[in-house]
Amino acid sequence: MSESPLRVVLIGYGPVGARLVDELLPAVSSGLVELTVVGAETDAAYNRVLVAELAVGRAERESLDLADPGEAVAVGVSVRTGVSAVSIERTRRTVTLSDGSVLPYDRIVLATGARANVPTLAGVTRLRYDHRRPSDDASMLDSAEAPLPRGVTALRDLADADTVARAVRLGQKILVLGAGVLGMELALAAAEAGAEVGVVYHGEIPMARQLDRGAGLLLARAARHTSVSMISHSPAESVIFRQDPDGVDRFDALVCADGKQISADLLVLSCGVGARSELARLCGLDVATGILVDERLTSWSDDRIHAIGDCAQIATRPKLGDSQAPPRGAPSGLIGPGWRQADWLARSLIAAASGLERPDPLEAERSAMVMLKASGIDVVAVGDVSREPLDDLADDVHGGGGAHTSGCLHEPPRRVSSWMDAEHGRYVKMITLGGVLDALVCVGMPRAAAELTLLYDRRSELPTDRSVLLRHDGPDFDDVSAGDLFAEDATVCWCNAVTVGAIATAADAGHATVACIGKATRAGTGCGGCRERIAQVLERQALSTSSI
Amino acid sequence: MTTSEARTHCPYCALQCAMTLSPSADARASLTVAGRDFPTNRGGLCKKGWTSAELIDSPQRISSPLMRDERGELVETSWEEALDAVAGAVTRSRREHGADSVGVFGGGGLTNEKAYQLGKFARVALGTSRIDYNGRFCMSSAAAAGNRAFGLDRGLPFPLDDLDSASTIMMLGSNVAETMPPFIGHLAGARAAGGLIVVDPRRSPTARLTEDGGGMHVQPTPGSDLILLLGLTHIVIAEKLHDAEYVERRTTGFDAVRRSVSSWWPERVQSQTGVPVHQLRAIARRLAESKGTYILTGRGVEQHADGTDTATAAINLSLVLGLVGSAAGGYGTLTGQGNGQGGREHGQKSDQLPGYRKITDARARAHVASVWGVEPASLPGPGLPAVELLQSLGSDGGVRCLLVHGSNVVVSAPDVSAVRAGLARLDMLVVCDFFLTETASLADVVLPVTQWAEEEGTMTNLEGRVLRRRRAIEPPAGVRSELWILSELARRLRSAGRFSTDAPTVFDELCRASEGGLADYSGLSYDALDDDSAPAYWPFPRGSSGTPRLFVDRFAHDDGRARLVAVKAAERHDAAQKDGVVTLITGRLLEHYQSGAQTRRVPELLTAKPEARMQIHPATADLLGIDDGSRVELSRGQASVRCRAELSLEIRPDTVFLPFHFGGEQCANLLTEQVTDPVSGMPEFKRTSVRIRSLATASVPEVVYV
Repeated sequence: MSESPLRVVLIGYGPVGARLVDELLPAVSSGLVELTVVGAETDAAYNRVLVAELAVGRAERESLDLADPGEAVAVGVSVRTGVSAVSIERTRRTVTLSDGSVLPYDRIVLATGARANVPTLAGVTRLRYDHRRPSDDASMLDSAEAPLPRGVTALRDLADADTVARAVRLGQKILVLGAGVLGMELALAAAEAGAEVGVVYHGEIPMARQLDRGAGLLLARAARHTSVSMISHSPAESVIFRQDPDGVDRFDALVCADGKQISADLLVLSCGVGARSELARLCGLDVATGILVDERLTSWSDDRIHAIGDCAQIATRPKLGDSQAPPRGAPSGLIGPGWRQADWLARSLIAAASGLERPDPLEAERSAMVMLKASGIDVVAVGDVSREPLDDLADDVHGGGGAHTSGCLHEPPRRVSSWMDAEHGRYVKMITLGGVLDALVCVGMPRAAAELTLLYDRRSELPTDRSVLLRHDGPDFDDVSAGDLFAEDATVCWCNAVTVGAIATAADAGHATVACIGKATRAGTGCGGCRERIAQVLERQALSTSSI
Repeated sequence: MTTSEARTHCPYCALQCAMTLSPSADARASLTVAGRDFPTNRGGLCKKGWTSAELIDSPQRISSPLMRDERGELVETSWEEALDAVAGAVTRSRREHGADSVGVFGGGGLTNEKAYQLGKFARVALGTSRIDYNGRFCMSSAAAAGNRAFGLDRGLPFPLDDLDSASTIMMLGSNVAETMPPFIGHLAGARAAGGLIVVDPRRSPTARLTEDGGGMHVQPTPGSDLILLLGLTHIVIAEKLHDAEYVERRTTGFDAVRRSVSSWWPERVQSQTGVPVHQLRAIARRLAESKGTYILTGRGVEQHADGTDTATAAINLSLVLGLVGSAAGGYGTLTGQGNGQGGREHGQKSDQLPGYRKITDARARAHVASVWGVEPASLPGPGLPAVELLQSLGSDGGVRCLLVHGSNVVVSAPDVSAVRAGLARLDMLVVCDFFLTETASLADVVLPVTQWAEEEGTMTNLEGRVLRRRRAIEPPAGVRSELWILSELARRLRSAGRFSTDAPTVFDELCRASEGGLADYSGLSYDALDDDSAPAYWPFPRGSSGTPRLFVDRFAHDDGRARLVAVKAAERHDAAQKDGVVTLITGRLLEHYQSGAQTRRVPELLTAKPEARMQIHPATADLLGIDDGSRVELSRGQASVRCRAELSLEIRPDTVFLPFHFGGEQCANLLTEQVTDPVSGMPEFKRTSVRIRSLATASVPEVVYV
């Protein structure tokens, strides 16, 4: 059964929405799908992953562009930017926009993304969006009634990037609250761009969600070396203001739980993001940390509504009698899974429009790899890296470990191997299940990190000798063959595959010059690039013969 | 009988090293080979070139036509009988199953004259659209990308020795140190400047030229080249290293390319390629900063199901950097087969007419038809690219009678078991060759032909320079030139066309047929080619002196601008690499050429490399219980290859390498799939998921508890 043309309304024109548009273009141009895109930002989709780079002046605005609305419009997509969707009338199957227009739909795709979290801080107003109707002013979608005070910003969109960029340009003091991946990336990049930067965070280490203590400490030390002040063990409590000449309050200092005050020109909130799910909640869809969708990216509550990207939380639909507790998990907050969801949903919508069989459900994502974008500091992490080599060993010796005591033989033990050279900032920990990586963290070893990423991604088996993976970053790896240029089997002439040994043999037979060697072995008769080395081999050979 | 000294070129690869053949003083050999000074090889030759004349005297040469007798054995017969049989079968097939039931499969080793004549023979004498050639397995992706971007495809759009002054050369998927060794002389300048960048999953001999400060070896996982190139372009644009003025003045499509690479930031590229971010940035900066940067691609990145897009991405990077057509810098693709360039210009391709013209273009058809003296409407339309052509063998509506020239398809085509099955379904298989190759031995009729030293002709080398091949010796009595064979067959088929047996006459006709086309040879003649000091780079229109450097002022599109074409990389879905599953890549050895039909018959070369060995990383070998030199089996579905293993630190642990020069159970193409590029029809040779296991008796290591 096909619904054709299938009227699809996409709400949200960020990177994930844009990917969906891209993938639907052929179906739009063939008339299978009628697509309307509603985007609150007036800018076309841009790559949010690079916003920090933009903020420190390392990237140009244009290089963030991901989509060309002109191309979509030319194919027949209706693109409405600068307006927001304010309500969904599910029984009538219409969407109402902030400009009053009403769009009928067969399917809705919510790709509304996420907004920066505003932490609990005395002096900064927090909004609860849950039951709030989205703002009629699309540009105020995230700040409508409580704009952040002067001198305080998040880092999520182009306007935020402008704010930070100004501070970097003016050489101001920037304080980052939160040492997650984004906070650390911004801090490191801004420091590299010459700003004075500090990072304030709760615990002992940055990126505590991704890293273990070893990796966290190495990162903190590396950050210090690039002159970022790493202010650990410092839960933030409140904000102190001073008055600008125009009488408006401006951020002056952050006050921490231990009473210390850290003054700066700009406070950047980097405390994670929360799904923009109010539109879904208002029309009665199930929402937990994100809009709840099943493995087919379809809302638990409405088969005609889908959600993808940062606003979507994928979880199995509960069956009758299942627990009523909200499902665990959360949107991944990473772009890769969002793009995969957009690709899959496009295929699924096209299948629905053309009456083809639906694609197999989307494969569950494994824990997503986190790679710190920073120059000179290589940090890669994925999965739960808390287990230590000694835990592993102790389990073997004492028969401990959950898997063993519960008698569940199907679950092989998680094995841990690691290498730490704290002095030189190198650290890797690999946690494997049946020889296949389950989690890993890697600091200061770029080649190993790159290889481990591939091995993790493909669920490939690691070599029994794990140290093979470390050698990628060692001097012996790059010079595997340069070891002994005069070894018997070292090739001298590539054109004719002549080795040191063959030349030596010819020399012993009385061929004493490069030309003679050429006649005897053809060495040096190709490109000629090796003649100097042939002479060296002859020299050595002459020496060794005369010394006997 | 030896005539006299002949200034000619090597019979093998597209570098076409200049050599002089002279009568040998040694009674055991007919000819002596000497290197000849020339800008490409500067007097040098590789091992294959030095030993090339041995094949002239090979006892394995076929000296008479062969035909199957009633018992199914190939036995000697007369030319008269053999040709009558072929003509009879062709006539019958045409009558019963239509003209397209007869197919022609050509080769990139044929001279321009033969390639041209073969295309004409197919379209005029056979009236079939079913012609294609083994060049589809090498150059088609780069050619498609070049045509799309520049409006024209000449492997190197500049003379090879331009590379001498380069300070940075990035080679992707090309192992010239083994495939065309004298080429590496032209890398000396870049190596001295520390600027040789070699992208290869193996630390190949070419990659090793980057050692000792020569440059950088980049070792991405197989099949990730497209992502690597998108990532480099991302960095170039993000770091504002691109040549904005050039992009504005000479190209179109920049915005779309910029948007398409935005999603490939360095960390994401690292996670898909295995190339660390710092290396990516270092490459991008080096390419942009150096004076004289060249980007060269080879089969390693092109022989993929996304080969055209990968070549396009390399071209995009070159264009964004402002290299193409600039005074010091450029993009090129390294043609592999001896006449891989000329062979793709003059009508062997299913969709082309001489002069690199499209067979669907009415004006092109009219021009070529007028040279051939036939009605334009009588020319067939486009046929099928090689893999599809081979798939159609013996099937309903497919080819039932196939003529093969200069190609050993049951060794070199992907999924050779399927090809072999297709050949077995044919009503008639005719093979022209000088040895009883694996393919010839399956034929119903085998026609022995002349070797390179026994014939006149022209070859177009990797630079698009037209060279003279000259006769040094009379062919053996029972052997004929393909020009003669085609002429005799055409006569028996009562063709309206003229098929000269004289190479210079055919060349003159080729020049006229190519006139006004992209690959215009109309200003050339054998007389003009006699003078080596006046190099003949096409396009060489009548009255001109040729074109050593292309794209200096304009590209070949109507508006003179190059096209930046945004390309997308698909998500990779590789099989998990455990329990023996690895990625197989195929390639070449110094000692052998193509299917090995020639080089495996040269004793010195065969002794040096007598068999295929699977190169594998010791860590992977250890995991699978494979020892150096032990026998292993590689399998994909029902297909399997058996050979010895060679443990080497020079390959990635997730990859194994097999040379494709060998037949029988060592034939690498038993494993490759008939998956092709949607644009070019190029097969996926360089990324096949296979399972390997040791064939040695399993030795269980003793476990000792302390």
